[in-house]
Amino acid sequence: MKEIIAYIRRKLSVRVSLWVVFFAAIIFIAALGFLFYQARETVRQEAVSRATQILDKTSLRVDSILNRVEVASTMTKWLVERHPDKSDSMFVYSRSMLENNPDFYNCSIAFEPYYFKDRGLYCSAYTKFVGDTIRTIQGGSENYQYFFTDWYLMPKLLGRPCWTEPYMDLDVATNTSEMVTSYCQAITDQKGQMIGVINTSLSLNWLSQTISSIKPYPHSYSIMIGRGGTYFVHPDTTKITRQTIFTQTLEQPDTALTALGYAMQHGEEGMKQMSINGEDCYVFYKPLGKTGCSMAIVCPESDIFSGFDRLRRTIMTIVIVGLLLMLYFFIRIITRELQPLRRLAKEAEAIASGQFDAELPDFQRIDEIGQLSQSFGNMQQSLVKYIEELKETTAQKASIESDLRIASGIQMGMLPEKFPTREDRDDVQLYASLTPAKEVGGDLFDFYFRDEKLFFCIGDVSGKGVPASLFMAVTRSTFRTVSAHESMPDRIVTIMNKTIADMNKNHMFVTLFVGVLDLPTGRLRYCNAGHDAPLLVGVGVGELSCDSNIPVGFRPKWKFSQQETQIFTGTTIFLFTDGLTEAMDANKAQFQMERVNDVAVRILANQQHDPHQFIAQMTEAVHQFVGDAEQSDDLTMMAIQYIRKQSDVLMRKNIVLPCDIQEVPRLNVFVEDVCQTVGFDEMVTMEIKVAVEEAVVNVMKYAYPPEQRGDVTIEAASNDVRLKFTIIDSGKPFDPTIQAEVDTTLPAKERSIGGLGIHIMRQNMDSINYERMDNLNVLTLRKRIKR
Amino acid sequence: MNVTIQEQDGNMVAILAGSLDTAAAPETEKALSPLNDVEGKDIIIECTDMEYISSAGLRIFLGILHNAEDKGGHVYIKGINDKVRAIFTITGFSNIFEFM
Repeated sequence: MKEIIAYIRRKLSVRVSLWVVFFAAIIFIAALGFLFYQARETVRQEAVSRATQILDKTSLRVDSILNRVEVASTMTKWLVERHPDKSDSMFVYSRSMLENNPDFYNCSIAFEPYYFKDRGLYCSAYTKFVGDTIRTIQGGSENYQYFFTDWYLMPKLLGRPCWTEPYMDLDVATNTSEMVTSYCQAITDQKGQMIGVINTSLSLNWLSQTISSIKPYPHSYSIMIGRGGTYFVHPDTTKITRQTIFTQTLEQPDTALTALGYAMQHGEEGMKQMSINGEDCYVFYKPLGKTGCSMAIVCPESDIFSGFDRLRRTIMTIVIVGLLLMLYFFIRIITRELQPLRRLAKEAEAIASGQFDAELPDFQRIDEIGQLSQSFGNMQQSLVKYIEELKETTAQKASIESDLRIASGIQMGMLPEKFPTREDRDDVQLYASLTPAKEVGGDLFDFYFRDEKLFFCIGDVSGKGVPASLFMAVTRSTFRTVSAHESMPDRIVTIMNKTIADMNKNHMFVTLFVGVLDLPTGRLRYCNAGHDAPLLVGVGVGELSCDSNIPVGFRPKWKFSQQETQIFTGTTIFLFTDGLTEAMDANKAQFQMERVNDVAVRILANQQHDPHQFIAQMTEAVHQFVGDAEQSDDLTMMAIQYIRKQSDVLMRKNIVLPCDIQEVPRLNVFVEDVCQTVGFDEMVTMEIKVAVEEAVVNVMKYAYPPEQRGDVTIEAASNDVRLKFTIIDSGKPFDPTIQAEVDTTLPAKERSIGGLGIHIMRQNMDSINYERMDNLNVLTLRKRIKR
Repeated sequence: MNVTIQEQDGNMVAILAGSLDTAAAPETEKALSPLNDVEGKDIIIECTDMEYISSAGLRIFLGILHNAEDKGGHVYIKGINDKVRAIFTITGFSNIFEFM
């Protein structure tokens, strides 16, 4: 069954055909049902009218026979009454009765006992057919005392002619008996005294045959019952006179049959539908005139409707065969019509499996299938085209993706990877993280040490993705380039801004925070170009106050302002991009500054604000907040903790020299003395001597105009870690640390004479630091003391 | 600062002794100026007794080298001590001078 359903589901032709045939069948059933009903009704009406007609005819016929009997009897009676005294005449009358009416069974003219003295007790002229001859005899005898019979007594007692109940007529002479019914009429003399009875009989058998010969249908039959319900005519001869219509109901109660019996007994006329011997029949019944009998024609329904049933069977057969043929042909036709579709399906399969050059059949049709085929062809061509394009695009995309991966690597490679910790430095430790939302991002951070300064920046380029990343790269390299020669954040940002704005055709911009932390002193100089203000996490948590500068990149002439603050040992500067405050959870709620503050407070309370821990905890807090939501923006954080501990000064010496290079030997003596005190060996002493000489000679030569006299102060101080020389002059501002250095790898011819001094200072000292303080140039040179 | 120039085995030998600091540089440069006129001979700078050199001294050395190379000559530095050699090394001068 399941397979059949699956088959039907798979075959459109079968399904459509089934539907069509199904509806056709419904229409046929409805039409034929109505037709059959009407036809059956008509046949029934026809049967009823036909049976009624036949019944009427039969009834008439019986009536006419009975009438004939009565007329003949009355005629004979008249004759007998005209000549009542001649007994022999009676035999003639009796005989002539049968001669004139050969279908009568017998005729008796019987007289009262001793009416004819010559005849004695019995005188009955009894005529009856024996074969074809008529025989008339004296009917009464010792054995047959007729005047006690019903037929003789009834007219006498009733005083009028009457029909007897059927009875058995015994022919003594031949000893044959026959069921008869008789019309009995009294004979009277002129005084009105009854002298005898004329009895004319009809054979019930003959009557029955007469009636039974009427057969409206092959299997219909007639029955006749008497007043008491006794069968007189019945196809089953054993029942005749022996059973009544009610006999059967005694054994098996049958209300329909009982009702029929009563109706017939009461001389009613009508039709009943009932079951006789398990067969549905129509019974038409009618009383038979004066006899008091009632006759019925039983017509089996199968007989009545046999023609109709045959017709119905034939039509049903034709319809069913027709529907089946219809189904078959429909399936065939639809299958044939859909043949192209199957081919198309096959072709589509081929195309789906990648054979785009599969040849499409040309159906030469203009119907829907033709159109489909054409569309299909167009689709195939388009597919080929699109696939080609797709291949190209995919290849391009793959190439772009690969490029992006490389770009991402390059971008990440631009960022510092090594972060100084407490193990590396005793003045600052730092950690940063950058998580782009896409492969490449527009956030940046950078830091590096130059002399004793930490240069750092954090920035966020407008937009995301590749354009932002390119801008970020430009910003970062500009920062490096500019800050190599500038130590003041405002100058760095202003120059960066001009550089970037000049080449910024796409109106992008970058918010930027640039800071320079002077490590020996903890002074932080910074310039904020529209970036989020950093947090200072030290004794408490607070925002670093920032001027409202504009972001970098679109106003080339903007002069950025610089701010300054003191960072105390232990304080962490926490810098971040808006990817932190605007980190979104699944409901698009933002992390916000309040949460950043709360987390910072918590971290501080737990004393876990060393840069790495700080960023780890902040990252975790953000991840917890964001949950499974996609990262919406680049997220960058940088934490810088100032950890320098000021040591006790063990030694302090100073010398003030006039700006004259002839004073250099004095300087060298001073430096040698200091180095000796600290305990440096000759080699290091030599290095320090050269470095300090270069620094001081610089001041002597260039700090003051030639005509102006000036001094240079050299202070030497040491703790147990370092020896520090501070060279102070009041000349014009001059930062030797941003001067170009000599390239020591060049061949002799290309080596210039200048630039050696700053190079020697850097090489020979551990750090070199310039500060302009209170209109003084302050240059610091430091050398670590090895113990 | 003492400077002595003498001819030895066909080469010009300049013997430097003392501290070649910025203060001594102008005087030393003047004393070494005859080397600029040398042609067809190699120059040997004898530094065994030179205790110290600053960038001003190095500039003089570079001047001598440029001049000699223009004329196709060689400049050799001889007997340099470790401390002074360190200055030559950090400034890259060790790459452009020939030592003997």
